Amino acid sequence: MDNWRGWDKISYQSDLDPRFAEEIASIPGGDKLFACIQCGTCSGMCPLSSYMDVTPRQIIAMIRAGFKGDVLSSYTTWLCASCYTCSVECPKQIKITDIMYAAKRLAIREGVYPKKFPIPVLASEFFSAVEKNGRSSEGRLIMKFVMKTNPLNMFKQAGLGLKLFRTGRFSIKRESVERVGELNSMMKFLEMEHMIKKASDAVGVKEDHK
Amino acid sequence: MSSLDNKHNGSARVGVYICHCGINIAGKVHIQDVVDIAKKLPGVTVAKEYKFMCSDPGQEIIQEDIKKGLIDRVVVASCSPLMHEPTFRGAMAKADGNPFMFQMANIREHVSWVTKDKGLATDKSKALVAAAVARVMFHQPLTKTQVPVNPNVLIVGGGIAGIHAALTMANAGKKVYLVEREPTIGGHMAKFDKTFPTLDCSACILTPKMSAVRAHPNITLWTYSDVVGVDGFVGNFKIKVKLRPRYVIEEECVGCLECIEACIFKHGKFKDEFNVGLAKRKPIYVPFPQATPLVAVIDPETCAYFRAKCKKPCADVCEKKAIDFNQKEEIVEVDVGSIILATGFKTFDASRVARYGYGKYPNVYTSLEVERLVNAAGPTGGEVVLANGKKPKSVAIIHCVGSRDANSNKYCSKVCCMYSLKLAHLVKERTEADVYNFYIDMRTPGKGYEEFYERLLLEGINFIRGRVAEVTDWAMTPDEEEKLVIRAEDTLVGKVRRIPVDMVVLAVGMEAQPDADDVRRMFNISCSHEGWFLERHPKLAPVSTLTDGVFLAGACQGPKDIPDSVAQAGAAAAEALALIDIGHVELEPNTAFVRDEFCSGCRTCMNICPFSAIAIDTEKDTAVVNGALCKGCGTCVAACPSGALQQNLFTDEQIFHEIEGVMNYV
Repeated sequence: MDNWRGWDKISYQSDLDPRFAEEIASIPGGDKLFACIQCGTCSGMCPLSSYMDVTPRQIIAMIRAGFKGDVLSSYTTWLCASCYTCSVECPKQIKITDIMYAAKRLAIREGVYPKKFPIPVLASEFFSAVEKNGRSSEGRLIMKFVMKTNPLNMFKQAGLGLKLFRTGRFSIKRESVERVGELNSMMKFLEMEHMIKKASDAVGVKEDHK
Repeated sequence: MSSLDNKHNGSARVGVYICHCGINIAGKVHIQDVVDIAKKLPGVTVAKEYKFMCSDPGQEIIQEDIKKGLIDRVVVASCSPLMHEPTFRGAMAKADGNPFMFQMANIREHVSWVTKDKGLATDKSKALVAAAVARVMFHQPLTKTQVPVNPNVLIVGGGIAGIHAALTMANAGKKVYLVEREPTIGGHMAKFDKTFPTLDCSACILTPKMSAVRAHPNITLWTYSDVVGVDGFVGNFKIKVKLRPRYVIEEECVGCLECIEACIFKHGKFKDEFNVGLAKRKPIYVPFPQATPLVAVIDPETCAYFRAKCKKPCADVCEKKAIDFNQKEEIVEVDVGSIILATGFKTFDASRVARYGYGKYPNVYTSLEVERLVNAAGPTGGEVVLANGKKPKSVAIIHCVGSRDANSNKYCSKVCCMYSLKLAHLVKERTEADVYNFYIDMRTPGKGYEEFYERLLLEGINFIRGRVAEVTDWAMTPDEEEKLVIRAEDTLVGKVRRIPVDMVVLAVGMEAQPDADDVRRMFNISCSHEGWFLERHPKLAPVSTLTDGVFLAGACQGPKDIPDSVAQAGAAAAEALALIDIGHVELEPNTAFVRDEFCSGCRTCMNICPFSAIAIDTEKDTAVVNGALCKGCGTCVAACPSGALQQNLFTDEQIFHEIEGVMNYV
């Protein structure tokens, strides 16, 4: 019995994160996720559910139960195309698309998303370029993206890239807004405000659960 | 009657009783603090607290204090007057106190249930108790008046609930007026083929009751009629009923139906309402063969005589000369003592859920339409067939259409799971098709209901737990060609499935009647926000309304199946019978009265009194209120320019002192 491995397949309560659901539900209107009746309308409507490893309905159930690791490392949230069909048709008006985004943000912050999976890389590269320069420079974004996911693609696409470069459709210049310093201090200020609000909200949440 | 003559003298002795209501109040209010404050209030001789004042021992505390001569008026701080004012007034009366020397302070609904902070809750309780004490000082002994109850009853709606209530009342020897707006009684139940879970034939159990209504000497049946006016109050309602012209004299028609044969339209041409549009009828018709009364009706919208010209073959063929194109609508007035509303429901309009394709694909049906298809007396003689006349090889039944959905109705319609099981069984029995039931949760509480579900599972019906995302005719595989494809997540497997079927049945939920709001206004009762008529108490007064003498039966109060509707109809009849058997109702003595010395005889009050209860004493040229007619609405009191009119239990003195009592503690 000692070397029977079946015990590993059980999800132990100590492996789950009881705060995960509240963390996701803290987005505006997010607490509706607790009203989910697991009807599966979201999965049925989703045009991409056939590519997903778990269905959107299962994501909601997993969030509620605290399966943080499984949710953040699943492909489902990254495959969401933000068509909002699930949110429109949900009989409990759960903002499923927004919840997908909340999970994606958390995954980037905690660095647990599927490595070399193109979508989170593209998202984080885009975001960091905008944060740094105030706008994205397509040429540099694409290059960074390809380097970080599959550098061999660089050679495959080289011909097309060259043509685009020659016709002035593709630039490797870094584009940026004027007075980047002011943008950066604005962003820092907003971030601080957000952190303070989050901290005070967390205290509020605790009080409610006494 | 004047209560202002006797100024409160120093001899008033008030007893204050604070109720814990278990922990309902005591959990939020420091009871002892309130008692301590109450003891110090002027006029208070006794202040006590008790766990449950409404219990017998609680009432006995008050009664003993009255008998000992310690108190002559009472303040109870507890729940709402609606809940227990009659209890405490009754207790006082039993101890030979006057029940109107009583005031209630609501420290539960108005304080403990709605306040989080204990200190604030205690402060508010003190203020409310002080107000009640200040007010009760100015209360005067009053007596109730009695008015007799008319033993006749009005029942609105002739579905199974109305029919059952009518027969119960009539068998008890009461005169019943049953009003139905359709040309026949029977309601939705008359449209069904079988009833769950026993699968007994709907018509076989309903039609005997329908003919019993028609034949009963105590029942006056008005079909094709509407209630258009309701006046009066419990025990003494005045009802106006509009009888719409059916252009056939009901007393003469024998139901031979030859007029329908003779009509210039050789075949049905117009939408048959009874068959929910699945068949056509002529302008002169009876809704179905067992219609009660079995009297033809002419629809003036479609009859050629009313639209242009017609030789009237229907009138010529009628031996009884029952057809009368000059019939006019008629208003009849009746007096009744109680009213039972059994106005029923309507089914959800399936076209509101566009993704299920109702109205777009001909083979998407509502459950009510399929009820007609499986009915032996229906448009197909009981054959379940597609729009092209062929038998379906596979059928999908989609549960919860227009139920459990924040985009339409949030509530569960309660009956759809069971009738979907019934339809699944009937469709399988008639067509041997593969039947798929798509459900969110299977809800089968009820006697024999879960057993019926198990029977269906064993019969080989497919059950898929998942709400259908879409019904489409877009084929992705060869076997989906020419089919309707259901797309849904099989949530128990965790996979999205596509299932091709020939026929889709939408299990539509129940909704309040579209004119429920007009009806509730007319009968002066309340609605929940979904439009269902509101009962007085969801558990303890489920058939009464907040208007005395008006009772509810059946699905007008909320989604209900046949057994529940019949049970509720019986309960409503019992409530009405109890009211009639007592023979009288006691009216609150909250009537208006005139202080002659201030009355200038301007007649303002006389003209605005909605009950014509005010006359003029010609000798003194002052107004006089007839206490038997006054309903205590207070309109005259507010309108009197000189403040001569006052209302018992609401005198200026009482109200001003109550306000002062609160203000002293704010």
